[in-house]
Amino acid sequence: MPVSNETLKRIIAEYGGFELSDAELELVRPELDNYLAELQNLRDLDLSDVMSSRLLRAAEGDEADA
Amino acid sequence: MPDSELLKLTISEVAPLIQSREVSPVELTEAALAEAERRQPTLNSFITILRDEALAQAEATEESLARGEYLGPLHGIPIGIKDNIATAGITTTVGTKVLRDHVPDEDAEVVRRCQAAGAIIIGKENLEEFAAGATSNNPHYGAVHNPWGLDHVPGGSSGGGGANVAAGITFASLGTDLGGSVRLPGAFCGVVGLKQTFGRVSQRGLLVTSFNGDHIGPMTRSVRDSALVLQVIAGYDPLDPSTVPVPLDDYTLIMERGIQGLTMGIPSNHYFDLLDPEVEAAVRRAIAALEELGVASREVSLPSMEYVGALRFSAMADSVVTHEPYIASSREDYGPDTLYRTLAGQFVLGRDYSKAMKVQRIIKEEHARVLRDVDFLVTPTTPMPAPRIDAENIVVDGQSQKVRGPGSGHISRNTSPMNATGFPAITVPCGFSGAGLPIGLQFIGRPWEEGNMFRIAHAYEGVSPSRGVWPDLG
Repeated sequence: MPVSNETLKRIIAEYGGFELSDAELELVRPELDNYLAELQNLRDLDLSDVMSSRLLRAAEGDEADA
Repeated sequence: MPDSELLKLTISEVAPLIQSREVSPVELTEAALAEAERRQPTLNSFITILRDEALAQAEATEESLARGEYLGPLHGIPIGIKDNIATAGITTTVGTKVLRDHVPDEDAEVVRRCQAAGAIIIGKENLEEFAAGATSNNPHYGAVHNPWGLDHVPGGSSGGGGANVAAGITFASLGTDLGGSVRLPGAFCGVVGLKQTFGRVSQRGLLVTSFNGDHIGPMTRSVRDSALVLQVIAGYDPLDPSTVPVPLDDYTLIMERGIQGLTMGIPSNHYFDLLDPEVEAAVRRAIAALEELGVASREVSLPSMEYVGALRFSAMADSVVTHEPYIASSREDYGPDTLYRTLAGQFVLGRDYSKAMKVQRIIKEEHARVLRDVDFLVTPTTPMPAPRIDAENIVVDGQSQKVRGPGSGHISRNTSPMNATGFPAITVPCGFSGAGLPIGLQFIGRPWEEGNMFRIAHAYEGVSPSRGVWPDLG
């Protein structure tokens, strides 16, 4: 899902209270693009059977941690 | 013994000379300070050199020796502390202009422990801004230079410490490792870098940029010295809830056990992908050397490493929170790499963060499963030798990779996974590139079994082609 320059600019202004030029936005992009690529990579990974550590311990009978 | 030779000893070699009073802590500290000041224009490895404080400490340790009080192997040993670890009354900048006047009220727990063991802190060491990067090319305090090639980075973010240990200035330096920041300078500077099990060492007083996976660990000239330092800094800290009260082994005892009959796992995916051919060749030679020492080898598969990139989400999001108090008011004080990298973290959604935590758990379980079948894993520490300081990109295995700033991460691809699992890992020098730059070999062990990891690393160190080789700094 691409993020437009306008969205990028607006969210950064809201967070930091300053505006970035288009040239500066391009410097943010490589990190953002890596994140988006990883999200795409994760899309088909089924994590539904990965339980939290506390639940797993409860299933092993440790009621104190349930 | 001339100072130049004295400063090339390891802690385990110089400690008996101090104990027997053949070498005085003041003499040793004077020598280390003189070397630090002499090399600072070349290496730029310190932000603050603590001449007066170090000499006062040295005199105090000398007096305690005169009273017959010997505090152990760190007594009178000059060390360095990365400048994101709090030192009471001493400026702790975290490598940023934003915190240039920050003076902590209290010492970090590791600093307290080192001083209680008699170590002498000779300076606060240069690092990447906010410890967020792999080059130690600091926009405010200047780039740290690698003693093995002054035009090359020492690795980061604890680059000052790596350079100091390699150049014979400090006998040990404490760095911090969130994605490899102790092991990367270890590999690039040809020294030993340790990231112990998460929870083994207190993080109290470490100025973190992420709340997940940061560790304080030592860089040293030998595996034995790494064990000696860990023995001092490890242990439960009731004021740091991330520490775990697991009993400490006597590491130097375990280290002496042989390694014959152990089995090493060689990952068939991820860790040996996208490597510089010289790095791969050096690591394969190291594996052959371990086999000659009687270690069996087995290929192991870690399929979930396909999703390892997701482990960065937490650091990205945490970084936004860390920088929130500063970024709006002090934007102009930020270097571009940190600023633009941090801003991207605002786009990490809560659900993606949570998903990344699940991926982290899968990767952790997978490594734990594999480490039931083998005693340890062996990998290259970094995919390439130290890049040049002025390099924006480097080509590795035909692919261009960013060296620093937003979008970078290739340098730490083999170290950062163990920050997510919390498992211990150590880098040991295993030879040199054709250009004379060090190459690092990484051992990954089972949680809380640092003793065994030291044992393996120590055995390999004895046959490593890097043994006894020093950089020529003129």
